Amino acid sequence: MNWTSFLEFTRGPLFYAALLIFIAGMVYRLVRVIALGWARDRVKSRGSKLGGAVRSLLKGFLIWPFIPWVKNTFSRSPLIYVAGGLFHLGLFVVIFLGAAHMLVWKSLLGFGWPTLPLPIVDWLAVVAIAAMIVLFINRLVHPVLKLISGPAEWLNLVFVFLPMISGYILTHHLFFRYETAYSLHMLAVDWLLIWIPLSRISHFMFYFFAKAIHGAQFGKRAVAP
Amino acid sequence: MAEETIYQRLQAAGISRRDFLKGCGGLAALMGLQQAPPVAASGLPAHLARGGDPAPLIARALATKARVPVIWLELQDCAGCSEALTRSHSPTLVDLVLREITVEYHETLSAAAGFQVEAAKQAAMKQYAGKYLLVVEGSIPTDGIYCTIGGHSALEILQEAAAGAAAIVATGNCSAFGGLPKARPNPTGAKGVLDFIEDKPVINIPGCPAIPEAFTGTLAHFLIFGGLPELDELHRPKTFYGHTVHDRCLRRPFYEAGKFANTFDDEGARQGWCLYKLGCKGPTTYNACAGIKWDAGLSFPIQSGHPCLGCSQPNFWDGGGFYQGQSAPLDRPGIGVAAAAAGIGLVAGAGIAMANRAQKRASDDGK
Repeated sequence: MNWTSFLEFTRGPLFYAALLIFIAGMVYRLVRVIALGWARDRVKSRGSKLGGAVRSLLKGFLIWPFIPWVKNTFSRSPLIYVAGGLFHLGLFVVIFLGAAHMLVWKSLLGFGWPTLPLPIVDWLAVVAIAAMIVLFINRLVHPVLKLISGPAEWLNLVFVFLPMISGYILTHHLFFRYETAYSLHMLAVDWLLIWIPLSRISHFMFYFFAKAIHGAQFGKRAVAP
Repeated sequence: MAEETIYQRLQAAGISRRDFLKGCGGLAALMGLQQAPPVAASGLPAHLARGGDPAPLIARALATKARVPVIWLELQDCAGCSEALTRSHSPTLVDLVLREITVEYHETLSAAAGFQVEAAKQAAMKQYAGKYLLVVEGSIPTDGIYCTIGGHSALEILQEAAAGAAAIVATGNCSAFGGLPKARPNPTGAKGVLDFIEDKPVINIPGCPAIPEAFTGTLAHFLIFGGLPELDELHRPKTFYGHTVHDRCLRRPFYEAGKFANTFDDEGARQGWCLYKLGCKGPTTYNACAGIKWDAGLSFPIQSGHPCLGCSQPNFWDGGGFYQGQSAPLDRPGIGVAAAAAGIGLVAGAGIAMANRAQKRASDDGK
C-alpha cells in the first residue's frame, strides 16, 4: 500500500465508517442522557422556563465572552479561561470558516458559505494550537488538575491535538509529501470522529442542553443568571 | 541495418553535426540532467560516464548506439496518448527521438493491416527478442471477452509481447493504473500493466494523455543509458513525476495568499486566482504539466483556467468528482444511511435505558 491509496482509504471508506459511528454514537449518548429521567416539576413556575433557557444560551455566547472579568471562572483561573476561549474560537473558525473545511461541509450538506482568507484562519489555527499546548502544560503542573486528570483527559488532549497539528502541516506543506500529510490528517480526523461519542469531547453537543436546562431553572425561579 | 547508429542515420537524413549536438543538449535539458550520472551501461569512458557535462555523453551515446525497436500495443485505449505524441510541438526533440526509435508495430500508425501487420509484429518480436521496448497504451481487461485483437485477448497479447521485451513503458493512465476503463463500476475488469507483469521492468508514464515530452524523455533515457530512469513508488520517472502540479503551479502564490476563484466566472477566476475550491487536484498530482506544459510550453489546464483533474494519479476518475474540492471526502453517507445510523443509536440508547430501568425496578421491588 502506498500513500496515494492509503489517502483514498482514509478519505473514503474509513471516513464514511467513522462518520456513521459518530452519528450513531452521538444519538446513543443523547438518548441515554435524556432517558436518565426527569424530576417531576411540582412547583409552580414564577417565570418563563423557555425564556430563561434562551436568555442563558444567548448570554453565554454574546455577553459573557466579552466581559469575562465579571465571572468567577475568569478571576479564579484566567489562564484556563483565556486559553480555553481562544482554543475554542480558533477551532470554530478553522472548522467552519476555513476554505478546505467549508468544502467538506459543502459536500456533506449540499451547500457552502463564504470563508475567511487563509492567513486569518491560519493565525487562528496557530493560536488554537498554542492555546492547546498551554492547557496541556497547565494540566501537567496544576496541583488540582493533576489529581483529577485520568487517562481519558490526556487522551482527549492528544486526539484533538493530532488533527490540528497535522492539518497545519498539511496546509503549509511541511515535512511530508502532501498526500502523506493529508493521509495522517484524515487518519487523525477519522479517529477523532470515532472517539468523540466515547469521550467528554461530546460536550460540544451536551453543552447546549446543559446550558438550556440551567437557564430553564433560572427562568422558572425568575432569577436572571 | 540494425547496426547502423543513430548518428549515422541522422547524418544520412541531412542533420549537421551542429544540429545534432544542439539536439543532444536539448535532450539533456529535457531529461533534467545537470550532471551526467555514473551509468556503466552507457558504455562510455570513465571520465565521461562519471559526471560532467551531459550533452557530450548523450552525443557519444547516440553516435555509438543503434536505434531502439519499439512495439506499441493499443489495448483498451482511445489512441489519445499516440495522438499527443504525434502532435507534440517540440520538433527538434521529438523528431530526434522518433528517429532514434523504430516503431515496428503500432495499431494506429502501421501502414500494413490485418494478418500482415500481425505477421510483422511476430517477425519483429523474433528479430529483436530481448532488446525491444514494449509500449502499452490502454488498460487490460481481465474479462477475456472484451478487447480481442486478431482473435487473442488483450492479456494474451500483452503477455506474449512482454516475454521478449527489454522493458515495458505503460503510457497513459489506462495502461499505468487502469484509467477510464477502470472507473466504477469497471465493467471489463480493467487493470494496469503492473497488475499482470512482474518479471520485467515497467515504467509508468501516466497522464490523460501522457505528456509527450515525458514519454520521449524517458525513451531517450532508456536509449542513452541503456536502463530505466529513477522511478518513484508508482513506477513513474522522478524526472517528470518528482513534483506535484501544485509545487510548480503559476497560481500557487494565490493559494498561499488564500485567494481562490469560487466559480468559473467570478472576479477571482478572471484574476487568475487559485482553483483549489473548484476542485483542483494539483496538490496530490505528480506530473510535469506546470513545468514542461503542453504544446511547446504554451499552456496547461490550470493556466487556461481549469482545475487539475489529477490524471497522472491512480483512480482519478473515482476521485470524488472533478469539480469537488480536494478536501471533501470521497465517500459520504446519504440521508438514508445517516438516518439509519442515527436510528441504531436511538434504538441502542433506548433499549439500554429501558433495560436499566427494568433492572432498577426489579431491585427496588426486591427491597
